[in-house]
Order: sequence, then structure tokens, then C-alpha cells
Amino acid sequence: MASKVHKEILPNGLTILAENNDANASASIGFFVRTGARDETDVESGVSHFLEHMMFKGTPTRSALDINLELGNLGAQANAFTSEENTVYYSTVIPEKFSAMQELLTDMLRPALDPEEFNMEKKVILEEIALYRDRPHFYLFETSFKDYFGSHPAGNSVLGSHESVSAISRDQMKDYFDRRYAPSNMTLVATGNFPLEQFMADARAMCGKWTDHKVGREVGRHPEKSVYKEYRRKNLTHSHAVLVTGGASAQDSERYPLSLLATILGDSSGSKLYWELIDKGLADSASVDSDERDGTGCFMVYVSTSPDRLDEVVSIAKKVVGAPLDFTDADLERAKAKIVSRIVLDGELPMGRLMSLGMEWTYRKTITPLAEVVRKVRAVTREDIQKSLEKFSHREWSEYRLLPE
Amino acid sequence: MIHSCALKNGLNVLIEEMSHVESASYDLLIPGGYVCDPVGKVGAGLILSDLISRGAGSFSSRELSEAFDDVGIRHGEGIGTDRYGFSGSMVGDALGRALELVSMMVRDPHLPPEEIPNIQSVLLQDIDSLSDNPARRAMVELTKRYYPDPYNRPSLGERDGVVTSDRTTVLDIYKRCFGPQKAILSIAGKVKRDEVLALVEKYFGGWSGGSAQVPQFGQSPAHNYYHIPYESSQVQIALASPSVRFNEDGYYAGKIAVSLLGASMFGRLFVELREKRGLCYSVYARHGSTTSYGTVTAYVGTTPERAQESLDVLVNEMQGLSGSVTQDELDRAKTNLKAALVMGEESPGSRASSNVTDWWFLGRVRPLSEISAEIDRVTIDSVYEFLARYPFRPASLLTLGKNELAVPTGLIGGGR
Repeated sequence: MASKVHKEILPNGLTILAENNDANASASIGFFVRTGARDETDVESGVSHFLEHMMFKGTPTRSALDINLELGNLGAQANAFTSEENTVYYSTVIPEKFSAMQELLTDMLRPALDPEEFNMEKKVILEEIALYRDRPHFYLFETSFKDYFGSHPAGNSVLGSHESVSAISRDQMKDYFDRRYAPSNMTLVATGNFPLEQFMADARAMCGKWTDHKVGREVGRHPEKSVYKEYRRKNLTHSHAVLVTGGASAQDSERYPLSLLATILGDSSGSKLYWELIDKGLADSASVDSDERDGTGCFMVYVSTSPDRLDEVVSIAKKVVGAPLDFTDADLERAKAKIVSRIVLDGELPMGRLMSLGMEWTYRKTITPLAEVVRKVRAVTREDIQKSLEKFSHREWSEYRLLPE
Repeated sequence: MIHSCALKNGLNVLIEEMSHVESASYDLLIPGGYVCDPVGKVGAGLILSDLISRGAGSFSSRELSEAFDDVGIRHGEGIGTDRYGFSGSMVGDALGRALELVSMMVRDPHLPPEEIPNIQSVLLQDIDSLSDNPARRAMVELTKRYYPDPYNRPSLGERDGVVTSDRTTVLDIYKRCFGPQKAILSIAGKVKRDEVLALVEKYFGGWSGGSAQVPQFGQSPAHNYYHIPYESSQVQIALASPSVRFNEDGYYAGKIAVSLLGASMFGRLFVELREKRGLCYSVYARHGSTTSYGTVTAYVGTTPERAQESLDVLVNEMQGLSGSVTQDELDRAKTNLKAALVMGEESPGSRASSNVTDWWFLGRVRPLSEISAEIDRVTIDSVYEFLARYPFRPASLLTLGKNELAVPTGLIGGGR
């Protein structure tokens, strides 16, 4: 079984979390950096994600090819992702390779940002932007969030545009790195089957020399708004709509009631929207999410259907979310059972534990045992949901549609 | 330790007790799949795989769904090329309930006719929305042209087949396929063999009927170049060529050869196209196989002005593999494949599923040590022997985008 979570904060501010479980067949390690699109200036748009790619492109002692080959030699399943507010580097390996993986990943977090590699990788990023341009619902999500959050940076584009990425210089990226990748803005996490003492000692030795400085982020709530916007695109066969309103932030205790409500209303099966739209064949996708972010958050609906049905589908979705408390006690208990089961199943694998520990610390600076999370989910009442709605949601909705030209 | 046995009605039962987990998973394979859809009715099986959960035994559609959710069983019912599949994961003590609900669906589904138009409507929307995902569409279009009928059928069904299938079509497939004779039920996780066996006997012991004969894999069409004009930011380039079958001699040499090319990060395609030339974001080569056929699929998506270079480098790397493999490279690919094996088998869900696959293809479940030893036996010479038999050409090539490309010399030959 899993041991308790060990926590240590190094003098330079880096937080280290470790949860050892000898029964696992693998171990996971990851760096969680509290930085993303919302921490970019306009001229830097896309730099967080571009930098994430550059972490794989060489360090003072390793070339890009060295890194690729070493990851191969370790049999590592390694990757990284960038969101509006986090950049996470992670890997899973078999236990014997854990220490070598730790050394490699730690070294990667101090990138060389070689100018030639920078220019080459820029081309890869521009291809990635082109790839997503061919996927219409990504375009709708990005465009509608940008509009919905307005001047609040939570709506910044993660990929950036062809123009913004083309214009980013190596020096701008270096500035951004120096500004955001301070140890006090990062968390190192290890889970699964790995040597605990050695991991802690290596982390102190390797990361302890990183120098710190203060890193900030404005975490106010976004202003609420209610708009209707319609976008048109050529060569589109399907239509999509996003409805969005205020929701709980990652720090608000209302996130539990609102995630339960999202499950009741819009889980992929057995939810209100499922029965109204998918079961009846009106839409091929329908979901509701509580999108909790740093200091702010939203509650959103997504549907996709054929263009001639979009009006009908949106109006049914509005009716469902417009009567959010129209559920039975049994509906609420089922939503709890679904969420609890997801938490337990995800928690069995080192990567699942890694993500939940790392994200929780990054957002809330807390460590909650699985059993306690389960208890909090189980304790939610109808009144909690009602109070949460009164606090955040359903006052004003914005609506965005994407249709063929 | 994996326990296997068969019930009197033929149902194969596989049980793996795992000590370090709290959850359990099941995976039930029933022979059938798209290849068993009647001619002209491709998509009928898809309708069945959805309809089967819309009411069964004493439960209505909604009651059945709620019964799964009440105890937090994450479940799915689906169809593959040659099979129907029912799988689910849950916290251990719900397994009995899960098996009861699955047995209702496979043994006593209502298949309500009034629900069929709703399912058809969603399936038609899925077919339409394929154009909004060009990478996926390219693979579907290549599959259509590369494989012999009925193995070339699109996983989303065909428009005509979906529209013209009715309850009779669906019921015929159900009667033909849904028997225990060759079906496999695999369970893994926090379970005890004797308790599981008692549950399986209780819920599936009285199930009767035969199983479908899955059609033979026939002669593939001649290789060709296909271009589909499409207005988009990127050009999709996809190619497919024959490879080693599952369990054929040299199977792991083939898997390793394809991984030398296609592995993310260290594979030659990733390094040469993406890392060294910045030609693309997404590039890969994959090996897929059953006991009747094997295929290598390669893909790259890139903007139009770089499409020709991308195709040329891709083909060049594939053709240049023979004679150029280093020991380091081979060791890396082997380490990687073995690590993936260990890490991919950690959860009850993945154990249940890979045990089913082994049984389906081999009639037994291989221990990890046996697969690991097979991988260890691969040498540079055995990779070259594989490449001599399956040199990644002739291949079929498909592009989806603005302009046609020039086909590299020797890529497309005659028939197979």
C-alpha cells in the first residue's frame, strides 16, 4: 500500500512531494511549473508551450538527440503538456531506471535554448498550429474562451498564433524562462515504486543549487459577461456550440458541489444531457464541465450536431442547465459513485497519483489523502449545490456557435 | 497467476488475481465485429453494439444505465473489426453486480426498435464529422482502399448500411453472434478465483448458442496511390504495407523494426522528420496485426509546401532501415518495448484486455516472461530477415489535401 506523502520545501523554495508504493510495477516523476498562457504578455503569446518543447531540445551537457536517445534507453514514457496555467513535465519508468530518469528530467529543466534548435522547433510548433486549425472544435474553444474571459488572461491561447509564434525570439523565451521557472514556482513529485531516501537526497543535490526569485500571478476573478457570438468557417460539415458562465475556482470549496452538478447534467453517459440529446439522437456530443482555474473558473456546456439541428439542440441544453436543481437524490448519489470510482481507479496507477498530488499542491498548497477526497465528495448535499449556484453560476451565460459558411 | 477454464456451454473464462490493487475489471469478447455485418449493411453491428445497452432483462434502458452508475462501474460496450466487446472497471466488491448486468445485455437484450432511428442519427453525424478531423479521415480512407473486403470496412459504418439497417438486420446479427461457444470472459484485479467462478457460473452458465464464424482474410487489392483533394491547412500523408502476422516467426523482429522507425522521441522518423528538419508535428509508424494479417502504417501531417519533402524523407528512412541498424539502436528499441510491456500491464483493465487478446489469438495467455524472452532473442540479423520478407513495399499511399504528390520510385508495385 501507499505510504504517506513526504513533503519537503528546499531553502530555494522548490517543493518536493513523494508518495512511495512498493506494490507498483513502475514509478512516475514530474515537475509541475505554475506557468502557462495566462502568464504571457501579448507579444509572448505561445511562448510557454514553445518553451515546453525546447526543454527536450538540449541542456548545457546534453544535445537534443542525447535526450531522445536517453529517454529511449530508459524505456521511459515521457511527455509534457502546457495549459493556460500549468506546464508539466512527466515520465513513467520501471523502478530500476527511476534515478537515471530523475537526473535526466532535472537536467532538462535547465534548457540550453540553442538558437539552431530554437529555429528548427519553431517550424514544428507552426505545424502544430496548422494541425489544430484543421480541427474546428479546437478553434471554437479557443476563440470562445478568449472572448469570454475578455481582458482576463485566463482566456489566453496556449498555442499562440502563426504570427505571434513566428515573431518570438530566443531572447524573449530566455526572459520568460528566467521570469517563470524559479524553484519556488515549481513542484517536484514522485509516486509509485522508487527509492524514497535516494530520491529526496538526489533532489536536494540537483535542484538545491537552482536560484530563486519571486514569481507572481494576478489571480482575480474574471468579469462576468453575457454575449452571443456566431463564427462561420468554410469546409465545415458539423456545427458546435459552447455555453459558458461563472464557476468555482480551483481554490473554492464549491468545486465539489459544482463538479457533481456537472456530472449529473452532462457526464458522457447517464446524465441529463445524455438522455435528452445523445439517447434521442439529436446530438453526437454533449457535455457539461466545471472548469476550475487559478482564482477563477467557469461552468460550461459543449454540444455538436448537424447544422440544421443546432438551434433545437442548444435550446434543449439551455433548458437542462436552466433548471439545474431538477434532479433526484438518487441522481446525486449516482454522480458521487461515478466520481469516487474515478478517483479510486486513477489513484491506483503512479501517473494518476502524480497528477493529482502535483495539481493539488500547485493550486492549493495542500495534500489530501484519497480517503479524505472521497469523504468530501460523499458529504455534498443538494443544499451545497444550490448555494454554490447562487454564488457563481447561472446568472449570465455567454453563447458561442460555430457553423459552416 | 492466470486461471483459465471453460464452462459447459463453451465460454472461456480467464481470471487473474492481483494483490496490490483495490479495483477489478472485466473484458468479454464475442466473435463478430464489422466483418460479420451483412453485405450492404455495414454499420448494423455498430447499431447493435449501442442498442444492446438500451434495456435488458428486467431493466429499461435508463434503469440499466443507472444500475451501472449506482455502484460506480465504468463500462463500455463496443464493436471492433472481428469482435464485440464489453468491458468495465470498478472497485472490487461491485464485480458481481457488473457480471449480472453484462449477462443481461448479452443474453436478454430488448433491442427496442423505436430506439434505432436515434442511434442511426448519431452514427450519421459521426460519419459527417469525420471531415472535421482530417488525420482520422485519411486513415479511414486508406483502410477502405488497402484491405480486402470485408476487412476494409470503416469503423464508423457506411452511410447506406446505417440507414438501411432495421431491427431484423440487427436481430439476425445478434442471433448469429451472441452465443458463448467461442466467447472469452476475462477478469482481473482484486478478486478470488473461486468466488469469481461461482459468479460466472451463476450469470453465464445458462447462456446457450453458437458463435459466428469470422470471415477469412482474403486477397488484398493491388497497391496504388490515392489522392483526395481537400482544402485544409495541412496535407495528410498515410501509407500502409504488409507485415508479419501475430505469432508468425519473426513477429517481434517486425515489431522492433517498426519501433526503430516509429517510436516517439527516438524513432528514426521522429528524429529525421521532426527533430532534424522541423517538417511536422505528428509523424509515426505503427505495427498492427492479427493471426491472419499484419500491417505497417506510417503517417505524417504537414503543410503543403513541405509535403513532398516529408513524403520523400519518410519513405527514404523506411527503405534505408535494412543494413543500417546499430546495436545501440536495437538495444534501445528492445528496452523500450519491454518497459512498455511491464508498465502497460499494471492496471486490472489492461490485464483483463491483454489476457483476452492472447486467448483469442493463441488459445492461451502468455506470461510476461515469455514475451520478454522473445524480445530478447531479436538480433540485428533477425530484423534484417524480417525486412527481407517485408521490405515496407510495395505500399499503398494516400494523401488528403490540396495537391497530389510525386510517388517515390519503387514505393508502389504490383499486387502482393
